[in-house]
Amino acid sequence: MCRYDSLGEESSERLSNSNSKNTPPDHEHIPAESGWDARKRIRVLLISVALICVWLTVRFPYEAESGLEHLLNGPNQVNPQTLHLRGEFVESNLGPAEESGGVVVRMIAEQYLFVPHCVVVPTGVPIRVRMTSADVVHMLTISGTNDEVKVVPGYIVETRMQFDREGEHQMPCREFCGPGHYTMRSRLIAVSQEQFRKLSPQERVNCASR
Amino acid sequence: MPRGRWLTRNSGGLHWRIGPTFVVLVIAGVVVMGSDVAGPPVRIPSNVAWTAETIAMASSGDAFRGSLIGRRCDRCHGREGFSSSPSVPNLASMDRQVIWKQLEDFGSGKRSSHVMQPIAKSLSLQDSADVAAYYSMMPIFSDPQDDRAFPQPLSDPRHEAVAGRLIGSGDGSRGLPPCQACHGPIGFVMGAPSLATQNANYLLEQLDGFASGSRANDINMRMRSIAMQLTEDERHALAESYGAGVAESGFRYAGK
Repeated sequence: MCRYDSLGEESSERLSNSNSKNTPPDHEHIPAESGWDARKRIRVLLISVALICVWLTVRFPYEAESGLEHLLNGPNQVNPQTLHLRGEFVESNLGPAEESGGVVVRMIAEQYLFVPHCVVVPTGVPIRVRMTSADVVHMLTISGTNDEVKVVPGYIVETRMQFDREGEHQMPCREFCGPGHYTMRSRLIAVSQEQFRKLSPQERVNCASR
Repeated sequence: MPRGRWLTRNSGGLHWRIGPTFVVLVIAGVVVMGSDVAGPPVRIPSNVAWTAETIAMASSGDAFRGSLIGRRCDRCHGREGFSSSPSVPNLASMDRQVIWKQLEDFGSGKRSSHVMQPIAKSLSLQDSADVAAYYSMMPIFSDPQDDRAFPQPLSDPRHEAVAGRLIGSGDGSRGLPPCQACHGPIGFVMGAPSLATQNANYLLEQLDGFASGSRANDINMRMRSIAMQLTEDERHALAESYGAGVAESGFRYAGK
């Protein structure tokens, strides 16, 4: 009747022909060396435990967190009213920080600033930007790149980027957030890695001298 | 069956070798994450967070009881809520949440002042809310008897243009929001006082304090980020213009 039906019959026939002598598969009497015996079960169990352990401990590229962090932290949520009291967005923790294999930049979007108001990052290393909003929805845009991040209060958003050339980027807000929206703009400056290492934590969040 | 025997011989070994490795991996992961969390010492700008309970607490004041406590504030802040000294802030018709937060920050030492810290320490949460309610209800109009310092004349007429631009539209090239987006009249955010009737010297001291970091009780570094970007001239211009009453258009203040 239907083309797919006939096709399916044909292929199933072909399969059964190649497998054995046109008999329906017997699920109860599977030969020991090819079926689910105890040893194979242990092997599969071990492999799945290994995969789960890897998922728990390793932070894969393009993922915000490792599995254990995800289980411990919940689904990346914060209370926007108490950002300054506890958690990763307390003000001493904002700005760029070195981590294994790159730099993590923590920022808060609030009416009408991205804090820190200026961020210095090194070129040539992967950069994780972790953000949250203290009040309303904002959107971080980085000029000269294709990066755009919607920042919603109550949630931590993470994006990854890398700068290959030194230079200054503007970070305007691209989501109307109130009467001061049109001036909501911060700066990001990419400097060489040697230069970045020389800067103190205060100089990495302050572009007054630049 | 050589393949099957190979599996039989090795499955035990596989189990015993890799099992502890998983445990070590998990422990190492936890340790790495733990060390990631422990960063530099945490600095908390203010113990006040604008949760629903805090806002309810700050707004629950009894203005009559506040007026009795407020008798002790008259000497510096004026009977009408307008100070005779331009270095002391005017409190008349200031938001009650604003006054309550500053009293809390003085009490917890997050904002430093030799005068206000001991006074604020002696006030309970409810006392602060009462005083805040009292001053928030005070009208701002002047009468012949009061000796307010506000408004003061501008020292330089060019200040008004500089400040007017920053108050009205900010400076987008430096990412400076317009003052009026948070301090009124076109917009307010929680904790930002109205500056329309504030004293010039007081404002200048606070702007300089935010710029140098000596005053750092603003939540999420809002005012510090802004004041740091302002030049000294702009800080003078802003303080003097607010102190001269240019912020509220359409309302003429009776000069001294």
